[in-house]
Amino acid sequence: MKRKKNFRNKKKDSKNSKLSLFQKADLKFSRECPLSGKDAPIVDYKNIKLLKKYISESGRILPTRVTSVSMKKQRQLSKSIKRARLLALI
Amino acid sequence: MNCYEHTLIIKQELPGDQVKTLISKYQNLINKNSGKVIKTEEWGLKNFSRSIKNIRKGFYYHIKFEGSGKTIKELEKNQNIDPSLVRFLTVKVKEHDLKNVYFEKKEF
Repeated sequence: MKRKKNFRNKKKDSKNSKLSLFQKADLKFSRECPLSGKDAPIVDYKNIKLLKKYISESGRILPTRVTSVSMKKQRQLSKSIKRARLLALI
Repeated sequence: MNCYEHTLIIKQELPGDQVKTLISKYQNLINKNSGKVIKTEEWGLKNFSRSIKNIRKGFYYHIKFEGSGKTIKELEKNQNIDPSLVRFLTVKVKEHDLKNVYFEKKEF
């Protein structure tokens, strides 16, 4: 019995666990792009603080499905991340 | 005339005066080949995120200039055979933004 209980708890946890910072726990996250619109931060290969938010721990670029960045900004983002990698900034 | 940003990484072992002569050499090269240097930023000695050819640190310099394709061809031809450089990158931009400064810098 104890084992079964543990198993159920684990399942619940895995449902609520986040894939990334940008995803809300209840799976109903907003679809608005955080990089478009007014007062949006500038996507640039020198802006490392911003770029570090959009790569995983192992340094891979996060997909749009996780971060909900618009297609146009995602293209700029991936290009500027690759430039920063070349200069060994990230 | 197009706007370009050029970043270069210089090896750490070089003494300070040689670094300055190297930078002024490339600035003159741009000015000679139908280009115009607008701004030079010094980002200082920075650690690499991962080692490049067993090198861990390097001096970063950032040059903003106007020029044509010939300017860059001449610049990169000279930098490709320079042993004191680790890496360089040229990026074409629509406009120079002189407001935002992402790294602590010293003007000179």
